[in-house]
Amino acid sequence: MLGIAAFSTLHAAGVDNPGSWQAIVAGQSGLKSNALPWCDLTCWLGEVAGVDDSPLPAELAAWDCRTHRLAWMALQRNRFQEAVAASAARYGAKRIGIILGSSTAGIRSTELAYTRQRSDGHWPDDFDYRRTHSLDALCRFSAAALGLQGPMVTISTACSSSSKVFVMAQRWIDCGLIDAAVVGGVDSLCMSTLYGFNSLQLLSGDICRPFDAARSGISIGEAAGFVLLDKQSAAINFIGGGESSDAWHMSTPHPEGIGAQGAMRAALQAAQLAASDIGYVNAHGTATLANDRAEAAATAAVFGAGQVPVSSTKGVTGHTLGAAGITEAIAVIQTLEHQTLPPSANLRSAEADLQIDVVTSPRHATLHHAMSNSFGFGGSNCSLIFGRAS
Amino acid sequence: MLRFDLYAAGVIAPGVNSLDELLAMRRSGPLPSVAGIELPSPKSLPANERRRASQVVRLTLACAEQALEASPFAVEQLRMVFASDEGTGEVCQQMLESLATTRAVSPLVFHNSVHNAPSGYFSIGHQNQQSAVSVSLGHESFASGLLCAVAEAQTSGQPVLFLSYDASMPEPLRGVLPIAQATATAWIIASALQPMCGRPPIARFDVELCDAIADADDATPDWMPAGWSSNSSAEAFRVLAMLDGRDATCEMPLGAQRLRVTRVSEFSEAAAC
Repeated sequence: MLGIAAFSTLHAAGVDNPGSWQAIVAGQSGLKSNALPWCDLTCWLGEVAGVDDSPLPAELAAWDCRTHRLAWMALQRNRFQEAVAASAARYGAKRIGIILGSSTAGIRSTELAYTRQRSDGHWPDDFDYRRTHSLDALCRFSAAALGLQGPMVTISTACSSSSKVFVMAQRWIDCGLIDAAVVGGVDSLCMSTLYGFNSLQLLSGDICRPFDAARSGISIGEAAGFVLLDKQSAAINFIGGGESSDAWHMSTPHPEGIGAQGAMRAALQAAQLAASDIGYVNAHGTATLANDRAEAAATAAVFGAGQVPVSSTKGVTGHTLGAAGITEAIAVIQTLEHQTLPPSANLRSAEADLQIDVVTSPRHATLHHAMSNSFGFGGSNCSLIFGRAS
Repeated sequence: MLRFDLYAAGVIAPGVNSLDELLAMRRSGPLPSVAGIELPSPKSLPANERRRASQVVRLTLACAEQALEASPFAVEQLRMVFASDEGTGEVCQQMLESLATTRAVSPLVFHNSVHNAPSGYFSIGHQNQQSAVSVSLGHESFASGLLCAVAEAQTSGQPVLFLSYDASMPEPLRGVLPIAQATATAWIIASALQPMCGRPPIARFDVELCDAIADADDATPDWMPAGWSSNSSAEAFRVLAMLDGRDATCEMPLGAQRLRVTRVSEFSEAAAC
């Protein structure tokens, strides 16, 4: 068990913790019809406003890219930096690990530089692969911004990346390598994921509608989120996480969600809880036909048909890919704080065959434990359980 | 300090195709320049996937096969920790080229572009449903990945397959990430705290974080081709080469600190089951 000492979340529908919760609990979507000058696809996007006008401070300017701007915005807000500084004062900067998730890191910088390289045969002088696109850049940038010196790692397992960071932090703390950890994740809008998901016919032309009978795919968003985990318990805690592999297909989930079931059961086991102890599941709920069907089947198999309230907050934030795990983990932390279950946004009529209790409007609940699911390409599954101290 | 046992290892690099060949190189110095590696198509994958397997999937699965041959554990039992710097090699290049021209990204290229594609294919090929994580820390990916793998072995009490690898980067990407030749190692490890059934380990190591030092000499040793100095996974060769018996300890940077790996020269063999 690890205490949630501080957190900070940022996405299209909310640029700080209160704003994010307000949008999520109201089911107020931050998605807008695509108007990017560099992308001609018909889709909806969760774009964070004002990133272009928020340069990094001079001492961090060498790391400039959209991903790090999002990270910097989140690190500065919600008194997150202050909480990390207090933790560093208590344990020492070397005893705080940095474990962050990203799917594409700063690949947008390479997309832009590659086009220029193609036209004149030279990589632009102002392109710094190591400080933008390289998967370690986010960890090193965050360490520089927060003044930390602990061991670090970037987890990149597609859409489960920033969910698995909690499990790794638990391992490192259990081994005595560190006393606290900054976990989190960032992904920003880029051509690679927009055109990539489009090629798989998973990008919806409509706004994404998780669990809706007429859902037609994902809407991509960008986000940054960080949580400071402490070996000392707190008012809200990370209780345990479970992981599994589908061993089925690179980009399609097992139809009965065998791997998803394995992750949920492993999380319950790690948390030493029964399925009936969980009062809410924040689903991966991407709004693809295959995911929502497989996840509903897996959830019904683990909890019993309709036995646990479920919603996906991706209708509000979009699918933020490598940042989805942290964004939704924070949504679950806020759900526990506010004792109100957020609805599945953009839902018109839930698919009748899905044997789950989809939350359609904000619902008050007496909630002790809640779960967050994240599943990614490569059959990578992770379920996290958070709890309120009783 | 974390203590782990090594039960089996695989090594692939140009001119090196086993742990024994790596130890021979440690004794005799770098081989005459070898251009590249012919990687076999992964026999564990279904026929349609086998043909389409990218170079990095071939590299990692072939290296894992070497370790599996000597592993005392059932393959479905192994947790998976995969560590690489860039991790996808020519796949990233193919995607960037499509985006810069037709924007018609191939669906196959897209799902192969994720950092965890090799671990995904490994789990599919061997029907392994255990936890799998793919990690990176740039040039320190081996050090960081080893820490993840050893911590997972210790906290889970289960054996772990740890892969450390770098695919060669094609031009023009090689201009910004100069990895000219592919290198990989595969490790079957378990925590030394929980002796495993069956065959005894081939080596025991201690891993610990220590303070950075001002005048650290982290140059690629002279017994290794200088061209591998850009490969994070070549650091793994230094650690495995300690099985040769000449060196007892090996250090490398990890963020603001260093990772020290020490070979435990004398240890009692695993308890009988």
